[in-house]
Amino acid sequence: MKLVMRAAYAAGILATGLALSTGAVNAQTKIGALYPFSGGLALLGDESFRGLELATEERNAAGGVKGQPLQIVKGDAVDPNQAVGEARRLTSVDKVTVVFGTYSSSLSLAATQVTELAGVPYFELGAISDPITERGFKNLFRSNPTARDFAASMVDSIGDAIAPALGVDAKSLKVAIIHEDSLYGQTVAGYQTKRAQEKGVNVVETLPYSAKSVDLTPVILRLKSANVDVVLQTSYQNDTVLFFRQAKEQGFKPKAVMGAGGGYSLRETMEAVGAANMEGALNVDFTQYKTNVSAAPGITEFVAKYKAKYGIEPRSGHSLANYVGAKIFFDAMAAAKDFSAPAIRESVLKVDLPVGATASGWGAKFNEAGQNTRVSPFVMQWQGGELVTVFPAKAAVTKMKTGLGSN
Amino acid sequence: MDVLIQLMINGIMLGSMYAMISVGLTLIFGVIRVVNFAHGELLMIGMYAVYLLCNKLGLHPYVAAFPVIVLLFLTGVLIQRFIIQPLLDADEHIQIFATVGLSTALVNLDLMVFGADLYSVTSPDIRVTVKLGTYNVLVGQLVMLGAAIALVVGLHAFMHKTALGRAIRATAQNRNAALLMGVRVNQIYIITFGMGAACVGLASALVSPLFPATPTVGTYFVLTAFVVVVLGGMRSMYGAFWGAMIIGLVDSLSAYYIAPDLKEVVYFAIFILILIFKPTGLFGFGRGTE
Repeated sequence: MKLVMRAAYAAGILATGLALSTGAVNAQTKIGALYPFSGGLALLGDESFRGLELATEERNAAGGVKGQPLQIVKGDAVDPNQAVGEARRLTSVDKVTVVFGTYSSSLSLAATQVTELAGVPYFELGAISDPITERGFKNLFRSNPTARDFAASMVDSIGDAIAPALGVDAKSLKVAIIHEDSLYGQTVAGYQTKRAQEKGVNVVETLPYSAKSVDLTPVILRLKSANVDVVLQTSYQNDTVLFFRQAKEQGFKPKAVMGAGGGYSLRETMEAVGAANMEGALNVDFTQYKTNVSAAPGITEFVAKYKAKYGIEPRSGHSLANYVGAKIFFDAMAAAKDFSAPAIRESVLKVDLPVGATASGWGAKFNEAGQNTRVSPFVMQWQGGELVTVFPAKAAVTKMKTGLGSN
Repeated sequence: MDVLIQLMINGIMLGSMYAMISVGLTLIFGVIRVVNFAHGELLMIGMYAVYLLCNKLGLHPYVAAFPVIVLLFLTGVLIQRFIIQPLLDADEHIQIFATVGLSTALVNLDLMVFGADLYSVTSPDIRVTVKLGTYNVLVGQLVMLGAAIALVVGLHAFMHKTALGRAIRATAQNRNAALLMGVRVNQIYIITFGMGAACVGLASALVSPLFPATPTVGTYFVLTAFVVVVLGGMRSMYGAFWGAMIIGLVDSLSAYYIAPDLKEVVYFAIFILILIFKPTGLFGFGRGTE
């Protein structure tokens, strides 16, 4: 008995000693990572997180931030309610210094309210809904382009890229805006309509439809009747597949079709539609991987790092967007006086990177609302089953083709 | 004029798709009187099964229909025996919760196993456009129309000319009286649910080449299926068919002439109007005949 008691005492002292010593030696900066790791958004939530993970590992290998390594604390935000709960846990229980996230706009909108109240800086790396940075928050910063940037890029490219490629006057093109009718589609379409008015683009039809549609033939027949030349679509995966299939079946061949990310960026969509049918479909989204490295320095190294760690090619441009954003904010944190919220804010607002300075081709200059103003999404095109960047010229890897479908 | 006819053809094809999916629900809702919210998920199971058989084993979708029909029949039998039967005498709301729970479980199980991506059945000879004059229609759609008509006629004949069919109708009219007449009601219910699910199995084999499979694909069809069933008059096969045709035509025409995002408003409004003037549905057997 006495032996057991003595052994227990010894173990206790050893354990306490160890705990104290590790506490002293391993001082780390905890950063929260709030993404949808499970549920319907899990695929791209995880993909987005991988960008943050790669950036963190890279930074830690180079000595961390202010000499301390960064430690990621994950939060799983399946829906807005859970996002709020996890944000609370990260800020009050785990006491993270800053929070990174989130991929989904509705999750971000919810979680950032918690962090703003708690006075913890939140770095948004991938959600595009504009209202996120339009609420007057002082501790919220976003590195990626917003829905308004996407819409502007799409409408501007009609005059800057599509009309010249077709050899016609931009004003002569009949444009239709079609979109799925939830928040994503309505937001982007709303900005597209405004931008089109500003630029004098001739929008002949605006048609919202349900993303759960079983049949888009009436939409296509309307477009056909109006002799639409250019279709701007904002859609998820299912309706994108339906649109392309039924457009072919009804014999609708516009001069150009352009998507706003969503279903247009996914490989599975192209496979379901058929590479030949999707040939020539344009897409505005986060930077993808077939981009000219002179406009996106570091992109090849990023892909190599991704493949080395995860064993496959990056599944979408979200990981790149998160990687680039995380790096910008790590540098801002390193340059800040300390990790208090006002010091971080001051440092972030001083960041000044020109366009083309990062691996995604974006620059970095944050306005008072915390939004990066030096981001403009590139235009990609499906060619031969690959999504390649075609505009602007500096970022392009190949020329833009005209027309839709190679059959 | 051209567009109008193309829209009407499109509406009829859409209607035949709804008819195929709703016939099974007519049996389940009309006979067992269970609001089966998991009906869409039966379609989803069928579509994934067809995808696996076609893309992994190389079967033609129409050939895959046979094993899928059997698979769905067994699924329906299991659902009725182990989920619905214990709840037959319970409050209706409990039955609804059970089917909603089943629906959620199936969608998430599918999400876990297959992920959120869409799966498309490769079938180049079914998505071929056929020209009826100057109008476009798909081979697969014509097959679906033919199958829908055959299914409806066949089921109607079955229900009226065979002993089992009569037993099913008797149970639907009055469960207790049927029991007294020596009908094994529990067995009838099991067979009926199985048959209803098998109809969905056939539908899924025909729909798969035209529509990619996703975990939530069932939800796109289920609400419309309920509307079709009630519109048609709950227990009538022909009613379900004509109800589906009406919905399909209204869907197609209102999406073009009014707006694509308002088409549900139009057909639900028509649905409400028809029920106000004929509460039993178009072909009787609805609320009024209890």
